[in-house]
This record gives sequence, structure tokens and C-alpha cells, in this order.
Amino acid sequence: MQPSIEVRGLRKRYGRTVAVDRLTFAVKPGEVTGFVGPNGAGKSTTMRLILGLDTPDEGDALVDGVAYRSLRTPLVRVGALLDAAALHPGRRARDHLLWMAHSNGLSRRRVDEVLEQVGLASVAKRRAGGFSLGMRQRLGIAGALLGDPPVLMFDEPVNGLDPEGIVWIRGLLRSLATEGRVIFVSSHLMSELEDTADHLLVLGRGRLIADTSVEKLRTAASGDRVDVRTSRRTDAMTLLANAGATVAAIDHELLTVNGLSGERIAGLLTGAGVPFSELRQHRASLEEAYMELTRDAVEFNVPTVRDA
Amino acid sequence: MMSAARDGFGQLLLAEWTKLRSVRRWVLALAALVVLSVGFSLFASAGSGTDSNKHPDFVVGPNGRPVADEFQFVHQPLTGDGSVVARVVSQQNSHAWAGAGVMIKDGTRSGSRYAALMVTPKHGVRLSANYEVSRAGRAGGVPRWLRLTRTGNSVTGYESTDGATWHKVGTVDMRGLPPTAEVGLFVSSPPKVVVTRSAGTTSVAEGPTTGTATFDSVRVDGAQATGSAVWQSDRVTQPHAQDTLEGVPDFKRRGGPSTGSTEANGVFTVTGSGEIGPRESPDDPVQAALFGILIGLMVIAAMGVLYMTSEFKRGMIRTTFVASPRRGRVLAAKAVVLGTTAFVLGLVATVVSFRLGLPLLRDGGFAPPAYPTPKLTEWPVLRAVVGTAAFVALIAVFALGVGAILRHSAGAITAVLALVILPAFVAIALPTTGALWLMRLTPAGGFAIQRAKPPSNMLAEAWSAIDPWAGLGVVFAYAVVALALAAWLLRRRDA
Repeated sequence: MQPSIEVRGLRKRYGRTVAVDRLTFAVKPGEVTGFVGPNGAGKSTTMRLILGLDTPDEGDALVDGVAYRSLRTPLVRVGALLDAAALHPGRRARDHLLWMAHSNGLSRRRVDEVLEQVGLASVAKRRAGGFSLGMRQRLGIAGALLGDPPVLMFDEPVNGLDPEGIVWIRGLLRSLATEGRVIFVSSHLMSELEDTADHLLVLGRGRLIADTSVEKLRTAASGDRVDVRTSRRTDAMTLLANAGATVAAIDHELLTVNGLSGERIAGLLTGAGVPFSELRQHRASLEEAYMELTRDAVEFNVPTVRDA
Repeated sequence: MMSAARDGFGQLLLAEWTKLRSVRRWVLALAALVVLSVGFSLFASAGSGTDSNKHPDFVVGPNGRPVADEFQFVHQPLTGDGSVVARVVSQQNSHAWAGAGVMIKDGTRSGSRYAALMVTPKHGVRLSANYEVSRAGRAGGVPRWLRLTRTGNSVTGYESTDGATWHKVGTVDMRGLPPTAEVGLFVSSPPKVVVTRSAGTTSVAEGPTTGTATFDSVRVDGAQATGSAVWQSDRVTQPHAQDTLEGVPDFKRRGGPSTGSTEANGVFTVTGSGEIGPRESPDDPVQAALFGILIGLMVIAAMGVLYMTSEFKRGMIRTTFVASPRRGRVLAAKAVVLGTTAFVLGLVATVVSFRLGLPLLRDGGFAPPAYPTPKLTEWPVLRAVVGTAAFVALIAVFALGVGAILRHSAGAITAVLALVILPAFVAIALPTTGALWLMRLTPAGGFAIQRAKPPSNMLAEAWSAIDPWAGLGVVFAYAVVALALAAWLLRRRDA
């Protein structure tokens, strides 16, 4: 059976707050699935529900087709990093992994292997209380990898990592996905996932806003816009607007044109003798697409600050 | 991809043990448990003293332990096998445990071997021997026929309401009784003890009682009995604490002139005062030697709570439950690991405290004969030493449960200490009944297991008055209930 995470009609409320509202999705193996949404969107709650830590009010969450709580040695089925701070500061890094290994009957050798894998072998005997956030993240990831599980969940793993660490974790996630595992990674910043994720689940106020591949989302956001770079901005704008396009000036040399194909724009400009130095299909950033999607779903909306 | 994994309770125990031993602060706390317990025990032992041997109110019995042996004895010698029989016609109700009956005794020295068959005002027929054995016969009082028969080294008691149908009460081993022993009638009447508790003090007032009984049909049969031997009446007496104290003017009035016996037409009227039986001070050197465990209990209460609440502090519990989703088993593993650790360390603390504390207590006056040297091989002593370790273990488990219920370190530690330590102090200020119930209903009753001596209500410490097992049982119940509630809540709550 292929490893999977499956969530059906999941709903959870804490007091009056609905944290997760009828959430349904499936996470497939072999690719990195990004779980994005603003802070408070319900990402961590969803992960806790999948891991059987919190009990849903409605719906269910299954890992490999079964409820997490029914797993006997869960560490070899699912690895999870929820909160890098969730360890006793007085315990050595190695002992933290050792008790986890013991609880599932895993060998001591695995502890040393994962410490090596996350680059903490040299500080294995230091107490976790003295670790930087980045080191704790690595320790948490080591814990997730302990049972070499086919399903991996990471909640905001990039938090606190230095640039080198960020590059490392991207590589790790990609290589784990290539091995055919389910990789489910949350972040509140789309940019963190931009180069890593293959598939995206976008969450806003507890609801699923988008369940799409990264490519599709980018295409949708880009639309059929064309960027034009020209030294005669005003002439170009008038010309293209008269031809029926919607034109927006990005800066004094760059225009974004909507409603005309690139070929037609090139023909019009050349015919009118308006020079241009660049003409290309507009490529929206995922961040843009994400902002677009979550505009209405941001939990704490700060009024936009305008430049004077 | 998957590693070889094993699922089992043993794995969980190993995981929880790893957690416990890998936090340095906890290891230090557990070491402190032993060191502080022993230290405070020795401190308390060195400060404890008694003058019981200087002012004895006992005689030394054949078993080497302090006994009471005082009564009126109307007797004649009997050599070899034989029996003494008499009917107790009347008995004054001077004390529930007053005795009127027949006796065979090694002379008239207080503290010597004896076997006695008696009727009592409230407790029916009793066969007692050598201050140790006390066997109940049938219920009921006078009139009653009583017979003691000696056959070699054993003595058998029979009783009858009509002198025709006899019931065997029992046979006692009387090895060490010389061939010629004194047989006859006796009357005893124990002193009245009034214990008053008020606002932190316990005062014990003791006053003698005097009882009279009449006998007829008195006969001594034996191979070498003359049948016409002269009856002799003696008061068997023992020292009293007051006798050796100066400035107590009225001690000579005790009992003295009011006891004795008369005989007219075969009817004996005997008046006696005093008690026959063990007379050990309720003060318990074993408990004194284990006093410092009180500190160990405070340490383990905090440890037990922290071992659990530290899981909740930083979301550790999520890591724990992700690794082991079966929450009840996690709690059980924690309880086993912590309980076993606490028991082992508690045992080290009690054994060391006992070994090192006893010589100090001995120097302070807790010495034979008033205080026979307690040995670990004696059951009540072993019970106290091992039971106290079990007390420590149960408090640890109780604290663990409370920690899981409240999920808050300071609150849980306060709650545990309030339930374990506070009642012990509150009880001191309460009247006897209130104090007794407080001990039966709170874990403070567990301190009763520290005692190697029988329960006594004559001491300031309220737990002394309840049975050791009753006390430990309360703690056990608290631990089980706390754990069950904790398990239920852990399963029900979101982690």
C-alpha cells in the first residue's frame, strides 16, 4: 500500500473558535506537499488532529488508512516535528532521541545515524537547553527520522534555521520525497516553500482555499499578462490601450499588459516605431498568488501602510 | 524504509526510565532524597531520649521484653502433673479486662512464667500464658467453672458453665516451667488509663483499679498433691514509675491495703489489683529511627509531580504521545518506573537510617530492658522498614497522578503536600476521634506503617493510633484513584 495522509470532513473548535472547518484533502507520496496559510489558519491544529493528539469534533484523519492512535509503533510509520521546543532542556540530545527510540523498540544505532544525518553528532552529548532554535529544529527532525518512516510531517521546520540550514532542509525534503515518501510541510510563508513544494494546500481561517500543484497556481496567477520594457512608456501605453489592452505601469520603463498576446504587442509596437528592449510572458511569484488567495482569510488583518 | 520496531510495555518502561535518569536535576533530587532522609533521621535519633530504664514501670518477662505482672495470688505448690479447678461465683466489674480465675506459675516472682485461665467482665473466658499468648474462650461471665491441667510441659485450659460439660479453651507450651509450680486462684484488675488530647498535647493519666471475686469448689489434684496443703495469699507486685520518683507523696497508697483474700467454708473472696500482660512503651524507637523519611516524602512528592508536569510544560507530552499513542500505558509505565525507583531509594534510606539511628537511640535511653533492641529479622520491624519504603513509592505514584490531573507543578506539589503532611499537624490539635478519622481518610495515615509497635492512642502523633496496614491502605487507595482519574483525563483531553 502506498503511504498517505487522508483527511475527511475534519472539524475542530476550541471554545468559540473554529480552528479547522470541514477540511478534506489527501497527501500523496513522492512529492513535497506544502501546507500554507497565515498564522492561526489551523495548520498546527490539523497536524495535531492527524497525529491523534487532539480529538476532532467531526470527521477523521487517517495515516496509511488507519487512525494514528491505533498505531502500535508509530515512529516507523509516521515521523513528525511539531514544535522544536517540545523537549526537556535538561536532557542531552542523544538521550532525548534514545527514549524515543526505546519507546518503539528501535535500536541505539538509529539514534547515532539520525544524529549524523541532521549534523548534530558532535553535540550529541550536550544538553538541549543550550541549543539554538536551529539546532533544536535539527534535533526535532532527527526525532522524526528516527523510525525511517514513509510519512513525514514537519510544522514550520524552517523557523530559526540559518541560510545554510535552510538550504540543507530543502535538500533533505526533496530527497525524502524522491524516495517515495509522503512529505507534508507547513509554513506561513509561501516563499519558504516556493522552491521546495510540488503541491500546495492553502489554508485560511480553518478552511481549505486551494489544493493545487505549484505550477497550476503560478499559471493561474500569471494569467495571460505580458511584461514590456520600453523607454517610451507613454507612447506605448496609449498605443496598446487603443488596441483594447489593459495596461499598468510598474515603473518608468516597465509595463504589464493584459488582453493582448505577445505577438500582437510586438507587431503593434514595431509598426508604430516604438522601441522596446524586452517583451516576456509575465510570471507571477507564488507569494503574489498566495496573497491573492488569502487576502480575505487573514486572521489578523493589519491595515496596509501606504507610502507618502 | 521501515526500521525494525518492537511494541511492548517493556519498551515503554525503558523509555520512561531513560527519561528519568537523563535529567541531571532529577538524579540529584533522588540522591537528595536518600541523603536528606538519612540525615534528618540521624538528627532526630540523636535528639531523642527516654528515662524509662531509670524509672521502670515494668518487669522483664521470660521473653526478655518488658511486661506487667501484678495481681493477688492464692496458691499452693504442685509438683509434676496435676490440675487446679475452681468455680468463679461472682466478679466485680472493676475493669473490662479484669481477671478472675486459676493460674499455674513459676513461684510468685513478678515476671515469671505462668499460664492462667480467667473470666472477664466484658471479654468472656480467656487463656493467657507468658505475657504473649492470649486465647479467647466462649463469651459470657460468671458463674463459670475453670480448670487448668498440667501434663509435662504443656498446660490445657477447660471451662464449663455447669461443672459437668467442659469445653477446651486451648493448650499452651510451658517449657521452662519447673517441676514444682504454684497453682491457685488469682484476681487482677488493670489500671484505668485516661488519654486527653487537646491543642497539641496528649496527656495520659493512669490510676489503679481494684476488683473482688469469689470462688468455691476449689480443688487441686495431682499425683503428689497432699490435698491438705495450706493456701497462701500473696500480692505479686512490680515496680511503678512513681516508686522511683521523688516527691510523689501518695504512691504508697496504691493498691496496698485494699488487696488480699479470705476463706470461709470453702468460699474464697479474693481482692486484687494490677495487670498481667505485655507492657511495652508505645514510644517506638523504630519510628524514631525512620523519622527523617518525612523529608524524603517531600522530595519524592515534588519529584513525582515534576516527572509528569514537565511533560506538559513545553509540549513534551506531544512528543511522548506521538511516540506512544496509548496514553494509559504511558502513564502506567511512568508509575512503574517512578514507583520502583522511589521504593528502592526509600528502602536504602530506611535501612541506612535504621542501622545508623538505632545506636544513637540506644545512647539516648532506648535500650533494653524497657526497649528491647529491634531486629530487622522481626516481622514488625521489617514491616516498618520495608513498608515505609512502600509508603514513599505510593506517595510518588500519587504525586504523579495529581501532576497529570492538575498539569501544573506548583499547584500539584502544594496539593500533595497538603494531603500528606498537613493532616499530621492538624491532627495533633484535634480530639482523639477527629484525629483518628483524619488519619484513616488522608494519606497522612501512611506514617502508621513506620511503627513496629502495636497501635496506641497515648502518643501525640495521631497516626500511632491506627493500624499500620490501614494507614498504608489509605495511601494505596489515594494512589490508585489519582492514577485512574489521571488515565481517564489523559485519554479524554487534547494533548
